[in-house]
Amino acid sequence: MNEQERQLITKIFSEYYAEAELDIPGIEHREFGIGNYKKIDARHLSFGSVSDFRRYLTTNTPFFVSHSTSYYDFPGATPIQKKQWKGADVVFDLDIHAEGKYGAYALLDRVKADLVRLVDDFLIGDFGVDEKDLIIDFSGNRGYHVHIRDKRFLPIGAEERRELVDYIMGHGLDYSKFFSDSYSADSRKARLVGPRPEEGGYRGRFARGVIKLLETDPKSISRLFSDPGKREFFISGVKEGNWSKTSLKFDDLVSRLKIVADGLAVQSVDTDAGVTQDLSKLIRVPNTIHGETGLIAKVIDGRGAIEKFEPLRDALIETKTIANETMMILFTEDVPALVLGGENMGPFKKDERREFRLPISMFYVLKGSASIVIR
Amino acid sequence: MAEQGSLDFAVRYPFSPSAKDAITDIAVNERIIILARNRIMKSLMNDSSGRMLIHEADKKEDIASFAVARMILGILRNNYLTNTFAVNESKMMHHFLNREDEATALEVSTIFGIVPKPKAGAKPVEDILELDLPSYLRCCPRSPAYRLINRRLVHGMVEIKSDEWKRLVEEAARKHIERIPIVKDPPEELKEAGKKILETLPKTDNSKLEAIKVEDHPPCVAKLLDNLAKHENLPHQARWFLAAYFLSLNTSEADIVKIFSGAPDYSEKVTSYQVAHIKKKGYSVPSCATVLGYGLCVADCRIGSPLAWHRLGRQRKEEIRK
Ligand code: SF4
Repeated sequence: MNEQERQLITKIFSEYYAEAELDIPGIEHREFGIGNYKKIDARHLSFGSVSDFRRYLTTNTPFFVSHSTSYYDFPGATPIQKKQWKGADVVFDLDIHAEGKYGAYALLDRVKADLVRLVDDFLIGDFGVDEKDLIIDFSGNRGYHVHIRDKRFLPIGAEERRELVDYIMGHGLDYSKFFSDSYSADSRKARLVGPRPEEGGYRGRFARGVIKLLETDPKSISRLFSDPGKREFFISGVKEGNWSKTSLKFDDLVSRLKIVADGLAVQSVDTDAGVTQDLSKLIRVPNTIHGETGLIAKVIDGRGAIEKFEPLRDALIETKTIANETMMILFTEDVPALVLGGENMGPFKKDERREFRLPISMFYVLKGSASIVIR
Repeated sequence: MAEQGSLDFAVRYPFSPSAKDAITDIAVNERIIILARNRIMKSLMNDSSGRMLIHEADKKEDIASFAVARMILGILRNNYLTNTFAVNESKMMHHFLNREDEATALEVSTIFGIVPKPKAGAKPVEDILELDLPSYLRCCPRSPAYRLINRRLVHGMVEIKSDEWKRLVEEAARKHIERIPIVKDPPEELKEAGKKILETLPKTDNSKLEAIKVEDHPPCVAKLLDNLAKHENLPHQARWFLAAYFLSLNTSEADIVKIFSGAPDYSEKVTSYQVAHIKKKGYSVPSCATVLGYGLCVADCRIGSPLAWHRLGRQRKEEIRK
């Protein structure tokens, strides 16, 4: 991207920021970081109010803006010990890595499925977080962020946050511990006692997962269950926590169920970046622009809106002034096909000239796949 | 049994608000300073027995000795002493707690914001309590049994048994006592008492650092060595893992015992015995998956076993450490 392109894009960003919805609780207690050539060129910035922040964004217009998950008494102070930590949101970063510049976009639905499970099963179901204390946003590129703003979680430390991540990712989950042998009083036969479907947490999800798999693909557990009679008999037992209504040996049965246990955790939590457990981390400010895509880290309107949300359509910048504008670009490399802005785009060849709606052209330019044709 | 507000309660739980109230009319004197010093020395010997106190004045002095001991620790700011003291005091508290009736135990627990409730629908004989998740996280000991993944967790409530509840209170007390006050302009007598304690400490043993260099080992091991250097308490699995790891590197038993000398509850005798036992049993080093299961994995080395670290090239090691 050359300077001229940079200026043009900066102008568009600035226009977006003039009217963007920037609702940042505790803004005066957060540290900010901004970046133009990297994601973070400078940090330890602070803003007293949303209007100060907006003024900064419209006049200085960085390509990336992030804020701390932590709250401080003196967010602008350095070194970090002087900031005086007051607590932090619990934040989860979900994303996906794939081959090639564009590989991840086709897989965003997979991250979304993980997001739904994270929110429903883990955050609301297991952790008991109220839906109104959740901010869910697109990351602006390859995934989603979830911010828990529940007062009770603010004071917990880094190690405890790591516990939460491990729980969600199923680290150390030993589902064979869900089971125990017992002897019933009337018959002297051993019984395998295990979780019931109506239980909460991993146990209930496991039992429900087994029943669901038996109903959809019984063979993946054992050929025995292809027989409807044997299958129904086994399921009727599971519903009461009795996992012995089968001729399979207990150990054999339990090891066959691994396939269900393996699918219970949320895989796409990005632990490398350490967003959840590192209290000094900065995370993209919700509703600001990701400078590598021109897509907005758009806040999703509550849990109910996740399924309908299409990041490559709904996170495009659409301000009044640019809504009807187009931009001519010249591709500088081959680009694979992609659904963007609700339309099938590409594939495009190097040296192809195209004219698209402005946010779409900008996306390819920021991805480094095209340059602007200035007329 | 000791009701809250009574002097006996304050003696047993000297960190409680009623302990503070009990000693408002007491001035620090030489006797209390000696008692405070003894209290710290006692923790260095892992002695968590209680004292029999009959007279009211003795009781008050005992309570005051806790506060003064913390001031001395606040002046010394020595991690080893502070953590050792916190471990010992919280163990003592646990012994007392075991003998209390439910209501009193709950009052102590509430001091730390730990307020478990009987699980709805559970029968009393089942002994199942529920604690809210943030409180649980704040005070769960770092051992596999207490890891969240091994717990029943529904709607923000974690199931615990009543003996586990008391263990959580011990942990909360330990963390609380570890947070020593900052003492501005300390009185001479206390500084003096602190000096005397330091004199009794064995000189720090640097030989262990020569035998074992933190940077030679995978991140999980390095982290634990670092914890020990800071005199933090390590859970059982972590100690076991370290011992098995170094044994398989052919580190001598004596050197391994030295590694643990930084632990706040270190006892040479016990540690030597344990290391010898692990050696005799010939346990193999746990895989990365197991280490992860213990909650001790701190990086993503993708090497399968911590031992495989030694086969990595320098550059790869650097990358992972970052
Ligand atoms: S991946 Fe293995 S070696 Fe690396 S920190 Fe984790 S447990 Fe240790």
